[in-house]
Amino acid sequence: MALEDYRPDMERCSQCSYCKWIPQDKIKSWRFAKGCPSIAYSNFNAYSARGRFAVARSLLMGRSDYTDQVLDVIYKDLSCGLCDVSDKVCRYNLEPLGNVLELKARAVTDGQLLPQHMPIIDNLKKEDTMMLGMVKADRGNWARGLDVKNLTEEKAEVAYFAGCRFSFDEELRDIPRAAVTLLKNAGVDIGIMGADESCCGGRAYQMGYRGEFVKFAENNIEAWKTAGVKTVITSCSDGYFAFKRLYPELGSTVEVLHTVEYIHRLIKEGKLKLTKPVNMTVTYHDPCHLGRQGEPYVPWQGKEKKILNQVVVHEPRKPRYNGAWGIYDPPRDVLKSIPGLKLVEMERIREYAWCCGSGGGCIDAYPEFSAWTASERIEEAMTTGAEAIVTACPWCERNFTDAVNADGNKLKIYDVIQLVQQAI
Amino acid sequence: MTMSKEIYKEFEDVVGPANISDDPAILDSYITPMCQSQHHMGPVYNVFTPQGLAVLMPGRTEEVQAIVKLCNKHRIKFKASSTFWTSRGNISDDYAITLDMRRMDHILEINEKNQYAVIEPFVTGGTLQAEAMKVGLNTTIIGAGSSCSPLASACANGGPSPFAYYGGLTRENLLSFEWVMPNGEILKSGSLGSELGWFCDEGPGPGLRGVMMAGMGSMGAMGVFTKCAIKLFPWPGPDTLANDGIIPAYKATLPPNLQAHTVAWPSWEAYAEGVYRIWDSGISGYYAHRQYTMFGRDLKGAMIRILTDPNKTIDDLEELLKDPEVQRQNEEMKRDFQLVLAGMTMRDIEWQEKVLDKILAETGGYKASMMEEPDVKNWSLLFLLRLGHKNLNFVYAGGYEGCFGVGGVPDYSCPRIETAAAFKKKWEQEHDYFAQAGGDCMMGGMGGIGGGGFTTWENFTHFDSHSAESVKGTYDFFEATSKYGMEKGLGAMERMYVISRRDDGYARSQEEQAERISRMSQPHVYEYQWKIREILDPNLLGDAYYVTLQPKK
Amino acid sequence: MGDMKAELAAIVGEDNVLDDAETLDGYSSDRSFARAVTPRLVVRVAGVDEVQKIIVWANQTGTPLVPISSGPPHCHGDTVPGVDGAVIVDLGGMKKILQMNRRNRIALIEPGVTYSELLPALAKKGMRLSNPLLPRANKSVLTSLLEREPRLNCRLQWSSLDPLRCLEIVFGDGNKLWTGDAGMGELDLQKQWAGQHWQLQPVGPGQTDFYRFLAAAQGSMGIATWASVRCEVMPQIHKLNFVLAKKLDDLLDFTYRILRFRYADELFIMNGTDLACAIGEDARQIKSLREQLPPWMVLVGIAGREELPAERVEFQEKDISEIAQEFGLELVPEVPGVDGKYVLDVILNPSREPYWKYIYKGDCQDIFFVSTLDRAPGFFKTISSVAETLGYPTSDIGVYLQPRHQGVNCHCEFSLPYDPENTGEVSRIQALYTQASEALADAGAFYTRPYGIWSDMSFKKDPQSTALLKQIKNIFDPSGIMNPGKLCFDLQVTKEG
Repeated sequence: MALEDYRPDMERCSQCSYCKWIPQDKIKSWRFAKGCPSIAYSNFNAYSARGRFAVARSLLMGRSDYTDQVLDVIYKDLSCGLCDVSDKVCRYNLEPLGNVLELKARAVTDGQLLPQHMPIIDNLKKEDTMMLGMVKADRGNWARGLDVKNLTEEKAEVAYFAGCRFSFDEELRDIPRAAVTLLKNAGVDIGIMGADESCCGGRAYQMGYRGEFVKFAENNIEAWKTAGVKTVITSCSDGYFAFKRLYPELGSTVEVLHTVEYIHRLIKEGKLKLTKPVNMTVTYHDPCHLGRQGEPYVPWQGKEKKILNQVVVHEPRKPRYNGAWGIYDPPRDVLKSIPGLKLVEMERIREYAWCCGSGGGCIDAYPEFSAWTASERIEEAMTTGAEAIVTACPWCERNFTDAVNADGNKLKIYDVIQLVQQAI
Repeated sequence: MTMSKEIYKEFEDVVGPANISDDPAILDSYITPMCQSQHHMGPVYNVFTPQGLAVLMPGRTEEVQAIVKLCNKHRIKFKASSTFWTSRGNISDDYAITLDMRRMDHILEINEKNQYAVIEPFVTGGTLQAEAMKVGLNTTIIGAGSSCSPLASACANGGPSPFAYYGGLTRENLLSFEWVMPNGEILKSGSLGSELGWFCDEGPGPGLRGVMMAGMGSMGAMGVFTKCAIKLFPWPGPDTLANDGIIPAYKATLPPNLQAHTVAWPSWEAYAEGVYRIWDSGISGYYAHRQYTMFGRDLKGAMIRILTDPNKTIDDLEELLKDPEVQRQNEEMKRDFQLVLAGMTMRDIEWQEKVLDKILAETGGYKASMMEEPDVKNWSLLFLLRLGHKNLNFVYAGGYEGCFGVGGVPDYSCPRIETAAAFKKKWEQEHDYFAQAGGDCMMGGMGGIGGGGFTTWENFTHFDSHSAESVKGTYDFFEATSKYGMEKGLGAMERMYVISRRDDGYARSQEEQAERISRMSQPHVYEYQWKIREILDPNLLGDAYYVTLQPKK
Repeated sequence: MGDMKAELAAIVGEDNVLDDAETLDGYSSDRSFARAVTPRLVVRVAGVDEVQKIIVWANQTGTPLVPISSGPPHCHGDTVPGVDGAVIVDLGGMKKILQMNRRNRIALIEPGVTYSELLPALAKKGMRLSNPLLPRANKSVLTSLLEREPRLNCRLQWSSLDPLRCLEIVFGDGNKLWTGDAGMGELDLQKQWAGQHWQLQPVGPGQTDFYRFLAAAQGSMGIATWASVRCEVMPQIHKLNFVLAKKLDDLLDFTYRILRFRYADELFIMNGTDLACAIGEDARQIKSLREQLPPWMVLVGIAGREELPAERVEFQEKDISEIAQEFGLELVPEVPGVDGKYVLDVILNPSREPYWKYIYKGDCQDIFFVSTLDRAPGFFKTISSVAETLGYPTSDIGVYLQPRHQGVNCHCEFSLPYDPENTGEVSRIQALYTQASEALADAGAFYTRPYGIWSDMSFKKDPQSTALLKQIKNIFDPSGIMNPGKLCFDLQVTKEG
């Protein structure tokens, strides 16, 4: 869709401001009622989904132009999708997330690039990774010594996709290693691309670089086909979202699972038993791209029509992505299976979880905003009395770790896999 | 129009560079397209409220005062708004600034014992309710829902409330307040003025608060209200508004002393009788409102089925409308309203339920069966208590406005409801400007004021704010309804603010206002308001939403 | 003078313009310590047209007016002229109950209608109006509401001015205004009623709450010539219970809980002395009752109306009883020697004659203000301390604490009986009244109804409101003819033009 295609939404936005808050029904306190980090940080109305509808319209109508402030509005957006969820409690004919993504893509197309993004994209083009300063040759280092199939040489039904962050972030390296080992030990016919793995392109998509995204997506789809892969498992929620929701439109037909889904399945089938106690109180953070943006993709080609004079519907029936069917319970059930582990919930969870702050290109372009978003989440976690925050995405883990270190906080950060490993 | 660099710097020195902008795109995020609704005027396609010169976000009362003083110095008009939902919160001149009160969002105090809260302008009904519930209290949320500002509705931009019957209107619940008047002076009202606390709205002597509110308030045209205290009311439930379910079908998981019913009657006469009996009975009527008919008499049953099933979307509407069971249940709810009973104890709720059943039995009323299904009932209870789904007003095609506003005691309003419905239904059938929803889309309060007494029903008109034809056709419809409404005593709320703002988005002139005022029964009301404005706003920095008439010599 | 009398007689008729010494003397002072000032004339008015003409005339002649609706004895100083040459506008003869509508629970009354007249009339229609505590039988209902006298049933006070709704006002500039619903359409009550328009909603018209300007204004803004009031359904069952305690502090949490539950109808606290004065028929009986009655009591009225009344009373009694037990208290139907039925009958009706506060010693001064209930023990300590210093027996102090506005604040009233024939007591009470008022103000008392010396105390604390109030007064009474010298307003009266 082009930005112009969102013009109806721009005019049908009722300016209710629900996009700024978690769903109103879910508000439990003043402190943790806000849902949109962008406007919570920057305050001007323009920084909300409603505001971005207005800014987009303003640009399309020629009432304003790309200024530094406008670019700040466009790009200082985590694309976390909370606005979409909150709006869709009520509305069936608004796509605020689509608009904010399209606004970024339009800015990129119009050559209005954010200088802070340029090195990232250059690195992506040169080294197949979003991780600045990292080189492709080192991509497979995380798996050194792991006895696992190399999908460039052998076929396997299941591809484990590590992703850029897990590949290059040494502090997080034990997580993909644990994931692969666990899956292998469970009898999964699994392989990895190693150094030949390329970025999923998902974060480039979120930043507005659609062209780059398509390139990487097509490359990955082809690589899996060649390797005979039927299922892709990843421990990175960004990758999960890209594969599950974005790739099918480009022809991908692989099954996509997150590691927590697979572990959940193994536990339910009795194939994985967690017997060692892990005595800790933890709280679980729903990654945006596993939770509200992790819903199944439903192909749709259709159009808007009106019934009853002025009721906007679709032909055929249009699927509704409102976070309802994201992956929320499997990671929680996994945690609850761990003996001695107590799970306490934050106020903003599931489809209305507060973002970790690393998405949308913001961790690179707006580190202060990104860090602030993470520290808000850490503070929320602390109010539960938990000793640790557990999640299922390396970008969340990195941003939380950096926030905790900056604050001098004692909260521990874990991936679900790490706790599962401790319980085996 | 732009602000000079020097003046911009003066304002920037007050709020800091991060809290002021004159970028056109930023300003455009504050304007209201006049094709949207909730203005009680228009709609008009491709017209916007003015951008103005700049938007500022003050963080403290001192900053607000400094801004207002600068406005007086440079004769720049200004208007503050909390949520910018409705053009009443927008400036109506080019040489004007917008104050976004977002940074003043603190709940300063909840006095549990004496049951009031002290809040800043950007505290929302939802967040105040959430905090109040922790200590067993609740707050009136206006009909526009929990994303709105209780301070705004108490001090400057009134709204009726479904909680009014039990909890009072926000203006009735207003205690002391802090007000930066348009002349730049700060008034602290009531007990606060004597630095004794927030507990008393009036005194010493006559109620000065008389200058600032009445029914709808000054709508931002009389300075900036920076703090106020609001009377709260009891919440006999858990410390959060517990709910579960899959979006959007969240449903309450609350104890049995909180019950939501949809009560209905076979005739409007019986309906009126039932309402009077309920008001007289002393049952709580914690929430009393004709809510779901906003979807339209013909469509509400199907819409409730959609909203309570996470697997359904609006694309299922056509199919559901054909379902005979939905049709039957819909017909049951033709003459209905939603009633929440809250018992302080189980004895209390049992008595209230018995009384309600008795009244229904004796007036021929009943509880609508769809709404007694547990999942629907609990969905409804949550919906009504938090009122956080008010974007549903716009669900069909993005635009809505209420026409008529049949108001008055039930003996007045009930006999007229079919007249209002029929007029709209005819237009629905003969034109395609707005949704064909059954004519009766009348939503409104069953109480009107603390303790009850009257109803006000706005007839929802759902149009497509993206379609020039739909917008124009709706405008024409409202021209017709305002004439018909005046003729038949049905109200004319769709045109309430044409006295303040023109179709081009700008303020009415004094002469244009004078012509309209001259047709009212007591024009000298506005001569008094002129004189009040002379004191409070000598430099005329507020806009025409504060209506005045030049006194005769 | 002759001209003045003739001019006024032309408006109200000769018989209604009075200047005999005895009549004038009756209006020149009251039971307060206000300086006696003899009015020039008294005019008795019969309707709004006369009122309007008098006000127009007063503007033209620069004559101060003092509107009065209640019969004597007055006791706050507000009806005593502040300046010489004033004309008393006596509305006491405007006694029409213009409307009583059970369906919409509304009554419209003229200013001369008293509680003794209104309550029985409403009862015949199955309604009642929440009343203040034992008002004088000749107390104007309209004035009582305008002066914000607290009601026994604060549960029904959504707005701080409830149950007052709409007014017909003639402002000091001579303009007539109908407020609220009444002022929205055609200004004809009969037509409004015929069209099912009832004067229920009090705000406006426009964006101004005009009726609030007359509240606690002591007649300094204008004259109200009718008011609509929201009535209650007459109870079919009505019981009064008590919760007793030795210390006031011990009753507060219980009372707060009842307020939180919005239970009970009448709900207020009295000390034994005050209740004794309320129910005692003579000084001897009052003294004896004081010995028997507990030091402190919450009076809890519970009513059942038309829907399952017995069950309502029953469940509330049970619940309230359990609440009392939670705080180590007990809900009882009688206090030693006195049963609830008798007390209920007393408090639901106006005071018998003589006025209840004067029975014990002959006269009484009241100090009252608004604060929050939790501060009441502190205030009692303050006034007791002042009393002790001056040798006034603290056991004589009557205390009445009335939650207001659904419990957000509380009317605190201290009654100080004394013998007016005893010069020593008189001078002591003057000192006590002044010093206690000051001490209570320092302790946080908010004199929302700033009669007499409270006026200066209050307005000095709030210069901003004072300045604005004067400006507002200037709009509605530009010549300053309406009861000059009251509140913070000037004594100066000017002629129009």
